[in-house]
Amino acid sequence: MPDKPTVDMVSVTIDGVTFGVPKGTLVVEAAKRIQREIPVYCYHPKMGPAGLCRICLVEIEGMPKLQIGCNTVVTDGMVVHTQSEKAADGRRAVLELYLVNHPLDCPICDKGGECDLQDFSLAYGRGFSRSADAKIGKPKAEDLGPTIVLDEERCVVCQRCVRFDDLIVGERQLVLKDRGVHNIVATATGDAYRHNYTGNVTELCPVGALTSKTYRFKSRPWDLRRTRTTCTQCAVGCGAFLDTRLGGVRRTMLVEDDPISDGWLCDRGRYNIGFYDDLHRLTQPLYKRDGEFVQIGWDDALALWARAIADAIAADPASVGALGGGRLTNEEAYLLQHIFRSAGVRNLDWRAGRQRQATPGKRAGRLADIDRAEAILEIGESPAERAPILELRVRKAVRRGARLIRVAPVQSRPPVAGSCADVATAGEAVAQLPPGAKRVAVIWDGVDLALGRDLVARLPAGIDLAAYITGEQANARGAEAMGMHPSFGPGYAVPAGGAGRGFAAMLEDARAGKMRVLSILGANPALHFPDGAAVREALEKTPFVVVSELFMTQTARLATLVLPARGAFEKNGTTTNVAGDVLPVNAAEGLDVPDGALSDFEMLIGLAQALHVGLPAQDELETAVISHSARAPEGFAFGDARFEQPAARGGSAPEGDGNALRLVVESRIFAGGGTIAHDARLADLRPLPQVAISPEDAARLGVATGDYVDITAWATVRQERVIDVLVEVRTGLPQGVAALVGGLPDDPANALGERALVSVTNVRRNVAEAAR
Amino acid sequence: MPVVKVLTEGIGEANLRDIAIYEERGGYVQLRRAFEEMSQREVLDLCDASGLRGRGGAGFPTGRKWSFLPGNDKPRYLVCNCDEAEPGTFKDHMLIEETPHLVLEGMLLGAYGIGSHHAFIYIRGEFKRGYEIFSETVRQARAAGYVGKNLFGTGYDLEVTVHRGAGAYICGEETALLNSLEGKRGEPRLKPPFPAVAGLYGMPTVVNNVETLAYLVPILKRGSQWFASVGTERSKGYKIVSISGHVRKPGNYEVPLGTPVRELLEIAGGLRPGRTLAAIQPGGGSSACIFEEQLDLPYDYESLAKAGSMLGSGAVVVMDDTTDFVKAAYNLVRFYAHESCGQCTPCREGGHWLATVLERFVQGRGLQSDIEMLHKVSAEITGLNLCPLGDSIEPFLASVLKRFPEQFEARVLKETVPA
Repeated sequence: MPDKPTVDMVSVTIDGVTFGVPKGTLVVEAAKRIQREIPVYCYHPKMGPAGLCRICLVEIEGMPKLQIGCNTVVTDGMVVHTQSEKAADGRRAVLELYLVNHPLDCPICDKGGECDLQDFSLAYGRGFSRSADAKIGKPKAEDLGPTIVLDEERCVVCQRCVRFDDLIVGERQLVLKDRGVHNIVATATGDAYRHNYTGNVTELCPVGALTSKTYRFKSRPWDLRRTRTTCTQCAVGCGAFLDTRLGGVRRTMLVEDDPISDGWLCDRGRYNIGFYDDLHRLTQPLYKRDGEFVQIGWDDALALWARAIADAIAADPASVGALGGGRLTNEEAYLLQHIFRSAGVRNLDWRAGRQRQATPGKRAGRLADIDRAEAILEIGESPAERAPILELRVRKAVRRGARLIRVAPVQSRPPVAGSCADVATAGEAVAQLPPGAKRVAVIWDGVDLALGRDLVARLPAGIDLAAYITGEQANARGAEAMGMHPSFGPGYAVPAGGAGRGFAAMLEDARAGKMRVLSILGANPALHFPDGAAVREALEKTPFVVVSELFMTQTARLATLVLPARGAFEKNGTTTNVAGDVLPVNAAEGLDVPDGALSDFEMLIGLAQALHVGLPAQDELETAVISHSARAPEGFAFGDARFEQPAARGGSAPEGDGNALRLVVESRIFAGGGTIAHDARLADLRPLPQVAISPEDAARLGVATGDYVDITAWATVRQERVIDVLVEVRTGLPQGVAALVGGLPDDPANALGERALVSVTNVRRNVAEAAR
Repeated sequence: MPVVKVLTEGIGEANLRDIAIYEERGGYVQLRRAFEEMSQREVLDLCDASGLRGRGGAGFPTGRKWSFLPGNDKPRYLVCNCDEAEPGTFKDHMLIEETPHLVLEGMLLGAYGIGSHHAFIYIRGEFKRGYEIFSETVRQARAAGYVGKNLFGTGYDLEVTVHRGAGAYICGEETALLNSLEGKRGEPRLKPPFPAVAGLYGMPTVVNNVETLAYLVPILKRGSQWFASVGTERSKGYKIVSISGHVRKPGNYEVPLGTPVRELLEIAGGLRPGRTLAAIQPGGGSSACIFEEQLDLPYDYESLAKAGSMLGSGAVVVMDDTTDFVKAAYNLVRFYAHESCGQCTPCREGGHWLATVLERFVQGRGLQSDIEMLHKVSAEITGLNLCPLGDSIEPFLASVLKRFPEQFEARVLKETVPA
């Protein structure tokens, strides 16, 4: 057994209860162990003491003055009184002060009912105020940024938001301005408060100063119904509470003690909930007749789907394929492959985008391993925009002293002080490892198989490796484990009927006129697959395409049959996250589901019955999910050769064009085709069509940040395609790269093709910016 | 008359800003002697033995403050606090303008004593002239080889940075000063950790007042015994007292600690003819008043503390019978409310509240119930604050509320209910 570090204990007496706590424990934490509340505003367990709010006053025997419980370390034999007259008097005095200039607008405050100022004033306050003078006025309903509204009058200046921005996120956008009683919270620059984690400050705020735009005046906390679930917006799988009222999801709240999220939520997970009741939700199956969609009933839809599959299988099982699973639950992914394989179909895949592989193999890391890593290697795209809460862990580790090594990075460095190196190749990355480093975390975007393979092969022996593949789709890893892959059945076993063809190969077949039926469940390859034109051509040439979706997406438009699906908050199941944790997905209580929308699970049951395929028993399903997801597949490596796909049709620069840059598509958490495009309240968060280029290339091409340019590609087979974009000159970006924001419905980067060579032309100078 | 000339020697007689004149009068001899003949430990011991206490306000023994520095190999910094802004205090102002080389020599000695290779001086934003003079002083000293690399051939490097603040009283509090010096918002830090452990840029740091550091020079010259033999048992040596208010000769006077307050009054020329004494604030805006019957108190740290006040920075404000104590209280409380950084609640809200109420009294619109509230709230906010600023609001207000209640009562709004 490994030696457990011995913990020095000290004895403390709080309100007459004597007990032991580890040395170094703060009084405020010690009191929690005996369920004794010491009220706090500024203190936060993840940020430590700030000593500002002065309400955690306690009386400590032997000390003449009241002490603040948040910054007093328990010493052996300390006797603490939280309820003594002196302590109560001190608290009462301070609480009265909080209300001297507070607007007392509780009746119209979103925080009313869950406000620490209300609660503590009631529990510990005087009950009346001796202040008779006019309150000072401060700005109200201030637009702090795209997500947050700030009421300065309600602010108790605890600075939790300011400290969160500094200590947890590292952005340091929020500061305290002015002084004394005129203090206000503001951004340092005066610009909009904007990063991927802003929503957390609304929950850190003990009062109603910082509120979410999406939740303002929507509900009283006591009218909400709460469901604990897992966020399925990305592969981290953060624990989240869903609060519903009047049939709609009103807000998403973090789960403080959730080991997955570390107690935070990103803004995508928190705010992208408005699509559930969007008017554009699909509510009835649609069948394309003479080029026009007509509404049909579910029975007809399922019968049409089953007949198309049955007929095609009878002709040639290889002409049938299915794509999906990455956005479905584990149970749905299992059922999907079960039904198709049972019917004799082998062409199954979840890979609707750029990502090739989702399961890291035996050296799969747990999320907590990042907290212990001495070095973190990022290959390909950083988790900043793909798995934001994983990125927060990386920042935490870097701040703690871990070395961050980024191979061919695209995104900017995380804004935290720490050791960070950007390198071009896997070999250089390994050379940058701290001497003697034992615990190394590797975070890979799962795109470039050769790069992933190369890096892991070069790592010195004896390293305790924790590997992560940050997927584009939330349940990519679960779908892979469930067998939604041409080469693997459930549990990564060789499928009974033999290997089939992956999605890229299916597209090739389709373009060659060989595919008869393609079923796409919960995927939008027309927007996310690297070569959008290839997808469109393939789907147009496939006689029968079925798409299950929430909205009429770019892919759904190309379908023969569109099936209205349910979103993650409207069904039950499980999802598997980046670290292999199988997490519950629960339907939100009190949420109205559009009439006519079925979960993919329900659709698949209907399909199975129509196809006369036997269904797995419930316990088979449960066992499959648990055992296969948790299993670390033998022999998997990063960039496993079995994950190779046919190379996409590459582009080449025209002769003599020296300005060609290699296209890299980068993620943005608020880029997307369905859930984002149909969330009206997120309009301000959607990224602009934007290209990042290195300062060297910018100088060579004569462009500056703020200019508009055309990005032009030459594909081998088709005509020139153009995207009109805003330029960002990004320090640290490798030369020769054009990083284009992907996933934008109106300006899809995949229109240019995969790994295309592009040119920057037609520069339009931003006059206003240049004048500045 | 007990007035002496130690730090103030030569002021008004010679241009001590000129390094040649300062050297002619024995300047930088002690610095050379310390570097060439004394170990750092000996400098520290000398300081300790002299009984020198911080002259900025808190009166903490300087040698002990130095001894809190941990014995690690981190860089350590000496910071000279010249953010003199305590109401009534104007001694550091004089020292950096009139005898800046003495201040610099003291800083360099202090830095050597604690083993620091980089000393900083934080000069109050309003002291533009002092900043310019001191910057020139450092230039002269650098040219003469007293600042920079390899001082006196000993291999000891010592850099000096002159920093001018931006005009916030709170930056005189040492941790707020360190934040400001680092370019951050000037607000006090939560302690622990104390600056000795994690101060400027997180490194072990000693912050000493201008006058404190300047006294190192005469202490080195004449020995710790010379200094320790003056004053009272625990308040050793000399102190520059800034006397202002209703006296005929306001100014800075250097006296042995323990001089009776009555004598200080005489030194400053006494009251104006025909006036009687109402109150004396003996230690700056943050101190409680003493009165006529306490004039025989020795002016030292202990006696004033025992009398419920403090020596503070040595700012003696004399108020005669013409004083409007409602206005005086409002003036000071408003000052503290205005200077509050606002990060912690009792000071931020309490100071503003008290100032608002006192403003009404000044306008003759006080309420009877306000008088008790002024007493209680000012007492309640004391002792609950993160830094001493919030605790500075009560002493003067409480002492004059108690001594001159009739002045407050007179400003209570009379009820004008029609019969």
